[in-house]
Amino acid sequence: MSNAIKQSGAYLEIVSFHLGDQEFCIDIMAIREIRGWAPVTPMPHTPPYVLGLINLRGAVIPVIDMACRLGMKMTEPSERSAIIVTDIAGKLVGLLVEQVSDMMTIKGEDLQPAPEIIPEAQRAFCRGIVALEKTMVCFLNLDTVIADELAREAA
Amino acid sequence: MTVKSIAKTFSVNQRLWTLAGSAFAGIGAMLIVGWYEGKQVDAALERATEIQRQVDVANEMRIANLQLVLAAMDTIIDADEKQVEPSRLKNINESVKMLSSNGSDLRALAVELGKSADLATYDADVASVAKAIQVDLKKLVESGAPEEEYGKLDDAIDGAGERLTNLFTTLSNGGEKIVNQRVREANQLSNISLYVQLGCGLLAIIAMAILQTIHGGAIRRGIEGVRNSMQRIIGGDYATPVVGIERGDEIGEMARATDVFRLSAVERLDLEANLDTERRQSEQSRQSREASQQAEAEALQFAIDSLAQALNRLSDGDLSANLSRPFRDDLERLRGDFNRVVGRLRDTMSEVATSASSIGANANQMRSAADDLAKRTEQQAASLEETSAALEEITSTVRNATSRAEEASRMVSHAKDYTEQSAGVVRDATDAMGRIEDATAEIGKIINVVDEIAFQTNLLALNAGVEAARAGEAGKGFAVVAQEVRELAGRAAGAAKDIKALVTRSSHEVQTGVDLVKATGEALTRIGDDVLKINDHVHAIFTSSREQSTGLTEINTAIGQMDQATQQNAAMVEESTAASHSLASDAETLNRLMSQFQIRGGNGPRVVDAATAATPAKPSPAHGLMNKLAGAFNSPTTAKAKASGSSDKWEEF
Repeated sequence: MSNAIKQSGAYLEIVSFHLGDQEFCIDIMAIREIRGWAPVTPMPHTPPYVLGLINLRGAVIPVIDMACRLGMKMTEPSERSAIIVTDIAGKLVGLLVEQVSDMMTIKGEDLQPAPEIIPEAQRAFCRGIVALEKTMVCFLNLDTVIADELAREAA
Repeated sequence: MTVKSIAKTFSVNQRLWTLAGSAFAGIGAMLIVGWYEGKQVDAALERATEIQRQVDVANEMRIANLQLVLAAMDTIIDADEKQVEPSRLKNINESVKMLSSNGSDLRALAVELGKSADLATYDADVASVAKAIQVDLKKLVESGAPEEEYGKLDDAIDGAGERLTNLFTTLSNGGEKIVNQRVREANQLSNISLYVQLGCGLLAIIAMAILQTIHGGAIRRGIEGVRNSMQRIIGGDYATPVVGIERGDEIGEMARATDVFRLSAVERLDLEANLDTERRQSEQSRQSREASQQAEAEALQFAIDSLAQALNRLSDGDLSANLSRPFRDDLERLRGDFNRVVGRLRDTMSEVATSASSIGANANQMRSAADDLAKRTEQQAASLEETSAALEEITSTVRNATSRAEEASRMVSHAKDYTEQSAGVVRDATDAMGRIEDATAEIGKIINVVDEIAFQTNLLALNAGVEAARAGEAGKGFAVVAQEVRELAGRAAGAAKDIKALVTRSSHEVQTGVDLVKATGEALTRIGDDVLKINDHVHAIFTSSREQSTGLTEINTAIGQMDQATQQNAAMVEESTAASHSLASDAETLNRLMSQFQIRGGNGPRVVDAATAATPAKPSPAHGLMNKLAGAFNSPTTAKAKASGSSDKWEEF
């Protein structure tokens, strides 16, 4: 998919959201659905960022606290919180975010690579930085953030 | 016998009775002694006769006993006949009966002799003898017993019969002796009685002789003395007193009666002598009286003439008329009295004259004083007028104040009502605020719903955007729509947020409003309380104003009374002025009258300073004053009547 974006080069559609004070965004094509907060059923022997399971029209999917996963404070779920259901490597995963802030279309060249002073392992989380007028938004690499983890779990 | 010692004051009757009494006593004593001694002798003889009879019985019994024994002996001797002879048996039975039945007489005799001990075996002896003879002997005889049996029985009968015989003999002898002794005693007693009777009779005779001598002598001497005295009186000897008037008996009474005769005769003689002397004395005095009466008549004539002359002078007003020549001795007092009377009259008149002049002077003073009094009464009336005017002002002021206070009270009560109404308004306002709060809460809820809808719409728009993006080129238009919807949802959410903020603020404001309204309500309540207090104060002011009004009415009444008093004072002043005028004229008249008297020899008629001629009564100063007063009190309701009344009085005055 990342290749497709690079290749098209023209436009990139993203959805931005808040985690604490920071703003992140993901590719819209990875999103299957955005829904309001609903209580989760906790799972035993899971890492702290895996909150539990929800029932999405019959399908059971895990919910991950993105803030926790990205090494920040745990999100306090509220009515205004949202769960972004994503399709990562063919698996449905719910991401808990504080608030979905915007849906926007950016040009390909607006996406700048992350600075290289950050170590490789950490840099893999971020596909690039979107610089807007007021803020800077981190374009998350869902494949590395989630897929690796899911693969490791599977292993 | 005690009559001898009785005093000589015994009456004749008593003396005769003492004689008779001694005779009666002597004869009575003789009779009593004779009767008593006779009784004693009779008793002694009777006792002797009784004992004699018992002795006879004892002798008979002794004979019966002998017969019994003899009969037994005979029966033993004739024992061969084998039966007891019936005549002998009958004899035996009679003897036994005799012995046993007369035991009591025998015992009485034994007691008399002091030998009752001897009779102890008597009944047993009689019984054994009777048994031996009547039963044993009969049995032996009929059975033809041997000799020895008879002998034994004979011994027994003899033994008992011997004892009985001895007993009877002893008793019989003793009884004879006693009888003789008693007869001797009786004889002795009768002798003694005779001697005693003789003694009594002798004693009585001696007593009668002595008493006869004493009493007879006394009576004889008394009667002889009285007879001699009476003979002396008949003979004309009245001087010698009658003998025996000191005696207490009938002779004494006779002597006293005789003495009364004697004394009356003496008195009659004295009276005749006195009458003679008096007749002579009265004759002498009559002659001397006639001589002195002549001289007295002359002296009296002189006294009457002098007195008449002096009284004439006195009636002419000459108070110096004196009687200088002396009168007869007994009329000299009359002259002195007349001179004293005239002198006293002179002094009195002189004092009256002095007093009259002083009365005149005082009358003048009184008149000027009355004028002063009138002036002062006028001043008093003026003061009263001023007082009345001031009082009028005060009355109107107080009335004004009262009405103001009343109005204030009314206004205060209105204010109180308004305050109460305001309390209601505050309550309503508070309720309205509460309702606003409720409505605000409702609005909040609705806003929440709107916000929720905006959120959901946003989500839906995002999903739509996602779907459009996934649709690629085909979904581009849809994506624009979705974007529009998202913007709308965002605006709706913003508006909802604004409204929420506004509603919250409004809620705060409403709360503040509620607090303020509550504070206003409390303030109004306090105002209401204060208004009530103000109402009380205003009411108190109103009440005191009314009291002041009442007090002023009383002051008005008092002023009216003062006015009346002033009127009466004025009337009195007028009266006293008139009285002082008449007093002055009376004083003048008095002085004129006094001048008619010639008080000191040679003094002409003296005229005391008369008061200046009574000035004609000028119109009373009090009169004008009254009119002024009436004018001054015209305004109060009471003044008019009083004023008219006063003017009436003045006219009458």
